[in-house]
Amino acid sequence: MAPGLALDAEESRLNYAAHIRYWRRNLKTFLPHQFTGNDCNRMTLAAFIISALDILGDLKAALSDGEREGYIDWVYRCQLPEGGFRPAPATDLGAVRSRENQIWDPAHLAGTFFALLILINLGDDLERVKRREALQWLTKLQRPDGGFGETLGEADRVEGGNDSRFGFMAAGVRWMLRGNLEGPVDGVPDMDVDALVRCIQAAETYDGGLSEAPYHEAHAGFASCAISALHLVDRLPTSTPDGRVRGLNNLPLTLRWLASRQTLTLDEEDAADTYEDETDSSATCHDSHSFMKLRDYPTTRGKLSFIDQPLVHAELKWVGMNGRENKIGDTCYAYWVCTPLKLLGHLDIVDSKPIRRWLLDRTQHLVGGFGKLPGDHPDPQHSFLGLMVLSMFGEAGLQSVDTALCITERAKQHLESLPWRRKLLAMD
Amino acid sequence: MAVTLLSTVLRIPYRLLKVFTMPEDEDAKYYHDDPAWEDVEAIPQDDGALHPLAAIAYTDEYSEAMGYLRAVMAKNEYSERALQLTEHIISMNPAHYTVWLYRAKILHEIKADLRKEIDWLNPTALQHLKNYQIWHHRQTIVDALGSPKGEADFIAIMLKEDSKNYHVWSYRQWLVGRFNLFDQEDELRWIESMIEADVRNNSAWNHRYYLQRGKLGSEDAVARELEHVTQYAKYAIRKAPQNQSPWNYLKGIVRAANLPASTLKEFALEFADVQRPDDIYSSHALDLLADVYAEEEGSRDDAKQALELLATRFDPIRAHYWQYRKSLLEGQAIAA
Ligand SMILES: [Zn+2]
Repeated sequence: MAPGLALDAEESRLNYAAHIRYWRRNLKTFLPHQFTGNDCNRMTLAAFIISALDILGDLKAALSDGEREGYIDWVYRCQLPEGGFRPAPATDLGAVRSRENQIWDPAHLAGTFFALLILINLGDDLERVKRREALQWLTKLQRPDGGFGETLGEADRVEGGNDSRFGFMAAGVRWMLRGNLEGPVDGVPDMDVDALVRCIQAAETYDGGLSEAPYHEAHAGFASCAISALHLVDRLPTSTPDGRVRGLNNLPLTLRWLASRQTLTLDEEDAADTYEDETDSSATCHDSHSFMKLRDYPTTRGKLSFIDQPLVHAELKWVGMNGRENKIGDTCYAYWVCTPLKLLGHLDIVDSKPIRRWLLDRTQHLVGGFGKLPGDHPDPQHSFLGLMVLSMFGEAGLQSVDTALCITERAKQHLESLPWRRKLLAMD
Repeated sequence: MAVTLLSTVLRIPYRLLKVFTMPEDEDAKYYHDDPAWEDVEAIPQDDGALHPLAAIAYTDEYSEAMGYLRAVMAKNEYSERALQLTEHIISMNPAHYTVWLYRAKILHEIKADLRKEIDWLNPTALQHLKNYQIWHHRQTIVDALGSPKGEADFIAIMLKEDSKNYHVWSYRQWLVGRFNLFDQEDELRWIESMIEADVRNNSAWNHRYYLQRGKLGSEDAVARELEHVTQYAKYAIRKAPQNQSPWNYLKGIVRAANLPASTLKEFALEFADVQRPDDIYSSHALDLLADVYAEEEGSRDDAKQALELLATRFDPIRAHYWQYRKSLLEGQAIAA
């Protein structure tokens, strides 16, 4: 009998009932006041809640028709007269909102992206969405370098960050409202797709990752958003050039960087022990315990950490994923790493089994949901992204998902079936 | 999101919220009984009828302050008291995106002393280490001040809290670009001290790469200075050959100089030799050798051997990836 069989017998499993309870609680009760710092991310949290229940196959059962209509109305209340959505009622100036003060209550890219996703998830037909206005606004959010901002401020100045998260959400809004048509549609100009692609390429890093901006450090969150954006505007690399500007500059290097995100550094203790230790040891190189060798021991600390550990420690039962070089594994990075791999058609260069076990045995929480690290309490972001990854890996009982849009295939098909969209895309 | 387990599980249903009173904070600041705010009528939040999504059990303090914020924003009021109100809101919700824009506008309109703004931002940033807007705001202020004076000291304090804080490193890079610090001896000495403190700090390696590339510019310049530029990374690798950060840095420099991987062959052989699999000191050296052999005439078997060793012995966590790389070589063999 193979060694380790006894361990394997204790099968890792997803606690469906607990996850459903966790998400229903998020849907139907107040988030505790510690969420105040997320007051302006309510649309994002709401999209996670609704989509998670959909992935768990519980959305229909969780909502009465009245509730469904009520939530749809709440989302539409966040739509602005000039197009686009605010991300929460927090900025709503109510009856006194005017042309003079609306810059303090502007349409917001994340607000708009997630509002549309919620509406689609809830089965709305988007007929009340000011689609032309939203698309017009979207073109104004693009900066000269091709990247996108978050809101428009005074005199239409583009405000907010300028990283691939915004390019991703802009590409998402465009795809939802006008599919992959390039050029003007219905009299509304298109965003400059070539410029967006170039902006993403400019943020490719020397190690094959992608970063927030040119020369910043490679980061899986930005890599995922960048590659999802390319996917949504249909500009992923292809084997045969088609005359269009396509990313990425160095696909093999990017695949290597993404594969490197698998790690055995799984908890805070593992992560802390590298500081001021400049030598290799089984404590500083968790990913290579099995063969670590030293020529000499330049520091006492290095020597201690080395002799404390068994020489053979190839524990591959649980494999985590990190977001940057030499960082600790974190639930959300399983999503940020597996998504670009999947979109690039290479999810099979990582081994999903030990990653799945890490999520289920280590970061899944007893009360449902997932924490960031083993033992952490669950939060909506990690809980949602953990489910997304398990669905991507084909977990039995979970609905299949559209990796880039973060909604189920069912919800995506609903959007694709809407008459106005079929007509626009000349699909009828 | 530091939420206690209790509040994760025990939540108040919407219909019961009014029955409970939120815990009162003794230091809470209110406006309704403040004579300085007498003339302002708060605009309460309108969360619709019965079905709000992701609603939060706000404290009374936050709800009230937000009501006053909406009221002064609606009037485009740019005043000292409005400035203080933004500070109050930021202390409770630093991710409120328009409050920062509003604050910047007030500072401009009342011609505030921007040095004072920096004095306020320093402790505020330390309270909200993961906040993003705060750095954007700092950039706006320091840009207007036109000098990076004092910023290095502040960054040092921030990095003491978290030496890999992404926002802080991004901000440091912005400073280097804005004030053209690529050539500064201080900057180079500082980054080397950061790497010495933690040779596995990839953010520090990335910053060093940025300084070198910014200083040298063209491919030719990198190639000319190759020996000098790669020396430092080689030194760090010799101390800890299994640390991937300097390997990535080294290979990045060689690629930036438009030179082939074989430029590093001799160096990689110091740590790994496919013929002596019991004497391997670095999986990254094996990986590099696989690249070198794949490009070399007649060495394809050595490349496959390096990848096989990685998959089975020296980096089994990535076995699928190494097998994929090996399959690419086999595909080439068939094509040839
Ligand atoms: Zn995370």
